[in-house]
Order: sequence, then C-alpha cells, then structure tokens
Amino acid sequence: MRDFLREHSWAVVVSVLLHGLLVAGLVFLALNSAHRPPPSLQPLPIDAVVVDSQVLHAAQRAQAERAEQEAARARAAAEAQAAAAAKAEAAAADETRAAEEAKTAEQAKEVEQAKAAEQAKAAEQAKEAEQAKAAEEAKAAQQAKAAEQAKAAAAEQQRLIDAKKAAEAKQAAEAKQAAEAKQAAEAKQAADAKRAADERARQDREAELRRQLADEEHRRAVESGPLRDSYIARLRNRIQNAWIKPPSASVGLDCLVEVTQIPGGEVTGARVTQCNGDAAARQSIENAVYRASPLPDPPDPALFERNFVFRFKPNE
Amino acid sequence: MNRRISCLAAIGFMLFCSRTWAELVVEITKGQADAIPIAIVPFSSPEAAAASFDVAKLVSDDLARSGRFRTTDRKDMIEQPHTGAAISFDDWRRLNNDYMVVGQIQPLGQDRYNITFELYNVLNRQRLLGYQISANKPGLRLASHQVADMVFEKILGIRGAFATRIAYISVLGSLPHKDYRLIVADADGENPHVVMQSNEPLMSPAWSPDGQNLAYVSFENRLPSVYVQFLKTGERRRVSAQAGVNQAPAWSPDGKKLALTLSTRDGNLDIYVLDLGTQALTRITDDPGIDTEPQWSKDGQSLYFTSDRAGGPQIYRVGTQSGDKPRRLTFQGSYNARPRLSPDESQLAFVTQEDGGYRIATMDLRGRGDVQVLTKGHFDVSPSYAPNGAEIIYASRDRGRGVLALVSADGRVQERLVSSEGELQEPAWAPF
Repeated sequence: MRDFLREHSWAVVVSVLLHGLLVAGLVFLALNSAHRPPPSLQPLPIDAVVVDSQVLHAAQRAQAERAEQEAARARAAAEAQAAAAAKAEAAAADETRAAEEAKTAEQAKEVEQAKAAEQAKAAEQAKEAEQAKAAEEAKAAQQAKAAEQAKAAAAEQQRLIDAKKAAEAKQAAEAKQAAEAKQAAEAKQAADAKRAADERARQDREAELRRQLADEEHRRAVESGPLRDSYIARLRNRIQNAWIKPPSASVGLDCLVEVTQIPGGEVTGARVTQCNGDAAARQSIENAVYRASPLPDPPDPALFERNFVFRFKPNE
Repeated sequence: MNRRISCLAAIGFMLFCSRTWAELVVEITKGQADAIPIAIVPFSSPEAAAASFDVAKLVSDDLARSGRFRTTDRKDMIEQPHTGAAISFDDWRRLNNDYMVVGQIQPLGQDRYNITFELYNVLNRQRLLGYQISANKPGLRLASHQVADMVFEKILGIRGAFATRIAYISVLGSLPHKDYRLIVADADGENPHVVMQSNEPLMSPAWSPDGQNLAYVSFENRLPSVYVQFLKTGERRRVSAQAGVNQAPAWSPDGKKLALTLSTRDGNLDIYVLDLGTQALTRITDDPGIDTEPQWSKDGQSLYFTSDRAGGPQIYRVGTQSGDKPRRLTFQGSYNARPRLSPDESQLAFVTQEDGGYRIATMDLRGRGDVQVLTKGHFDVSPSYAPNGAEIIYASRDRGRGVLALVSADGRVQERLVSSEGELQEPAWAPF
C-alpha cells in the first residue's frame, strides 16, 4: 500500500483533487436547484423570513430556557446541601458548649460538696472537741483520709471530663470532614446534571430542526398535490363572491393585493400593490378581501399561509 | 456534533427561503354585480327647524335608487353616531356595512344651515371624505344630492348625477282638452317646475350644453315650430318655423347651432343644421326616405340619425361637412331608431324592436359593435343618458300610463321614477 502510494503519489493527489471538485460541483448544483425560479411577482421575502426566523428563535429560546432551568435547579440543590452542612456544624458546636457547661456545673457541685463536708467536719470537731482526746489523732487521720478521698474524687472527675472533651472534639472533626465530603460529592453531581441537561438541550435542538425539516417535506408534498389545488379553489370562490366589482373594473384590469391572515382565517391586512385600475377598483379589491374574512381553513394545516397574493384579473 | 447542527440549520434556512418563493398567488377573474352595502346614519340637528329636512334620507334614497348601493334600514341601526369618533366600527361591520356616512346639520341663523358629513370605509376604518356644505332652506335638497354625488364618486369612481335635472313632457286630460306641460325637475323627479304649458302638443325637449336653455317643438300655432327658452327668465324665441315639419332639435356641442329635421315641399324629411346666430341653414342629408332624430358627436364633426332609406328605420352616421355619405351603423333587427350618444362616446343607446315590443338597447362603439337590449317593457322609448353615462332615462308604460324609468348603462339595474299625475313622455337629462 505504502509502496503503491509512493509510486503513484501524483496520480493520487490529482485524483483526490478531482473528486473534491466533483463533489463541490454537485453540492453547488444541488443547492442551486433547490431554489425555484422566482415567479413574476416579487413576493415579500422579508416578511416570510421574519416569520420563519421567529419560529427558529422561539425554539432556540425554549432550549436555552430549559438549560437555564436545569442549571438553576442544580444550583438550588447545592445551596440546600451547603445549608444542611452548616446546620450540622452549628449543632456540633452547640453540643460541645452544652458539655462544657455541664462540666462546670459538676465542678461547682463538687466544690460545694467538699465545702459541705468540711463544714460537717468542723461541726463534728466542735461537737466532739470535748470527746475523747485519744480519738483526736484517729480523727485527724480520718479527716486526712477524707480529704484525700475528696481530692481523688475530684481528680477522677477531671479525668472523665477531659476524656469526654476529647471525644467530643473528635466527633466534631469527623462531622466536619463528612460534610465536606458530602459537599464535594454534591458539586460533582450538579456538574453531571448540567452536562446531562446540555446534552438533552442539544438533542432537543436537533430534534426540533429535524421536525421542521420533516414538516417542510410534508408541506412540499401537500403543496404539489390536489389538496393545494382545492384550497386555492376555495379561496378563489370565497373572494370572488365577496368582490363587488365597480363599473370601472372590466376586462383589462390587473391588480395584485397582498393579504395577511392569522390562523383561523381572519384577515389582518389587505393592501393593493400593483394595479392598473382607479382608486375605486383598488378599494373594491381591498374590501373584497376584508369581506371574505374569515378565509376558509386549509384542508391540511401544512397548507396554511400567513401571506397571500391575490391577483384580480376579471375576464368579463 | 456542532458541525452537524449548523449543517442542518443551513439546509433548514434554505428550505425556508424557497418557501417564501412559493407564496400563494390566487387569481380572481369574476366579481359580483351586487349592490354595495352602506349605512347613512340620520344627521343630528340641534333644532326642530333643521330637523324638518331629512338630509340622510335623501342621500340614502339617491344611493339606493342608483341600484349600486344597498342602504341599511334605520331600524337596524343599533346606534346613531354623528361623528367619526363615535363610530363603533366592529358593530357596523357585524351588520354587514362596507361604508357609512355620519353627519350633522346646524342652523347658522337667517335661514342658513351647515351640513357636515363624513364618509368612512367600515372594513378598514378609513375616513374617505369629510365636507361641510352651507345652504339655505330651499337649497338643502340640492345640498343633499351633492352629498350623495360625492359619496357615489368616492366609492364607485364615477361622478354622481344626483344633483342634476331632467326635463320631460307631461300630458293631462283627454281630447279635445289636453293640457301639455314642459316640466323641469330634480333628477329624482322631485321639485318639478312647469316651464311651458300649452293646449297644443309640446315635443322633443333638448338641453343646451350649458344647461341654461331648452329647445323644444311646440304646436301652439297649430303648426310645429322650434323654440329656445332661457330657463332663468322664461324668455323664449322661435328659431325655426319653416313650412312643413320642424322637429327633433339637437344642440351642437358648442351651443351655437341646432340640428333639426325639416321637410321639403314634397314632404320629404331631411336633416339640417341651423346656425342660431346667423339663422343660416345647412342641409346635411338629401334622401327620398325619412331622415330624422339627429344627435351630435362630441367634436361636432358628425351626426347620428334615424333613416328608413333602406326600408325600416335604422341608425346612420354622417359628417357635418356637406357631401358626406351617410354610413349605416345598425344591422340587427328591423327597427332601430332615436340614437343617443353616451357622454364618453363609447356607447350608442337607441330604441329597438324585439318580440313585438319597443325596448332600449345599446351598441358598443369601441369594440365589435355588440348590441345589448337593456329593458324588457313593451313600449320603452326616448332614451337619454345621464351626464355621467351611468344611467339612461327613458319613457315607458305602466298599466297603460306613461311613466319615466331608469336603466343602468350596463343593464343590470332598473328603476322607475315615482311619477306625478299625467302621461310622462320624452325625458331629457340635463348636463352637469
């Protein structure tokens, strides 16, 4: 293969160029033939393009709105989660504070208890001062022992408190870590959701374009068929019946009137453009269109035209 | 992926482009000969004195009588606005009105009034006319006809002829005490004035081009003579009293000559032109048959007339330069007489015989000479064009009585004038 290419490199280049040109030519022809030759009448391309581009804009707008809504939803979820984490932290801090308060209270109790014990001891001493002197030493020893016990109890209490404090600190740290992890996870989820929304929006956009293309194909199919002929015949009958011909409108009159209708057939505008008749003829033509309102419904919705041109050309 | 979308979009746009080229064009080749619906709303009038004259009714009657309008009945009007600002167009449209006229009549004091009116197109809400006409009380009738004229012209593109006059002969009584009257009235038959009265026949009234004089034939001296009467003063003079027949006067377009029918000593009738200034007579035709009922072309260069030179009466045209040979115009049927030229000279109206009756017919002078019979009576004679050419007035018979009738120049509208007493004959429509 490589040898072949090396041997015939020029031929390959030329061949590729020729094929390229051929394809370009075919595309050019296809594009050109897609345009039909303009009829003698110059229609209103601007109007129609405006209408169509509005359709397009509307679709795009809807998609953008959908994506925006998705993003807003993700944003709201992330915010809610952050709020929950903050609340958890606050709860943990509250707990710590409560524990500390409890500890202080207990300490105060201990102190009070100790004080009470001392008082009791003093009272006993006062009461039992007259008692046996021999028992004094024993009593003193006993007192020392009690004091020692009280001290030990206080120390034990302190140790317990410290342990509890440490445990609480650890718990708080763990909660914070967990919250952070959760937040990260949620952020990731939101990002995923946004990507998914973008993808959906893109698919919607594509589907919309495909749908428009399909509509257009359907439309073109009906337009060239007998349905269109019958629609035109109905329109013609309707307007002919509504036209009160002034005496000046006879054979030779040739006028074009641009008509705008809305779905349902109501005429919203009628304007004579080219016309070889007098003012009375022009007016009679515009009036005919208004009198014919509402215009008949098309047999197929695809045949609906917002803008028409009627040609008034009496043959009698 | 993006590339694919933009590609799809490009193709889509292309299709939309081609779609605009496919914009529907519908061809309309027929129209209806229907009357145009219009509402003439009663005019407001602050004072009873002004209210005693109904402008709106007169305008409405004029338009309806023309046959080209269908006027809305007053009892069908849910409201009666007097200015454009007060019109609820949707309501009037729902009542199927294409146009409407609103207005007011205001007394100015000293027997003078202002008529203010506006014409609207109900369908697109456009104000088409807005005028004020001032008139004294007797002039309100004429002013109302002028309103109708303006509305008529604005909508149809044809000048209205409601504010014009007609002349005709009215015959009362029976022999031997017949009473002949030459009457001038408004075009709607109202406001009649007797301008000449006689116990001997009066015939063939003809308007001068300026509308100030009438020429007619009177037998007041037992012999026919042609008179010209100045209407403002009633002053009249005899312009032709040749031996034998003096009949069928017709004014030249410049008003300086009369074409008429005179007889030679042997009783042969021919067309002559009489110069009213010099009294000079020019003979136009010279034929053993009867040549009569001349009518001038607009340029004064030729005369249309009736002749039986080929047997039955037919219509001919001849140049007013002496020596011109008459050319026959009508070939359909055995009786075609009394030619009258439409103001634009596109048509010739005349009396034709069909199915044993006399009827009004027209001939197309611009195309192939097509003849159209417009009326269906048994004795429809003496056609005369309205100055706008839209209608033809003629004499007819209704249950044995002579009446005046109207037919539109295209034959699609026929009306009868409400006649006063007497046999009405030989109507002649005045110029503008």
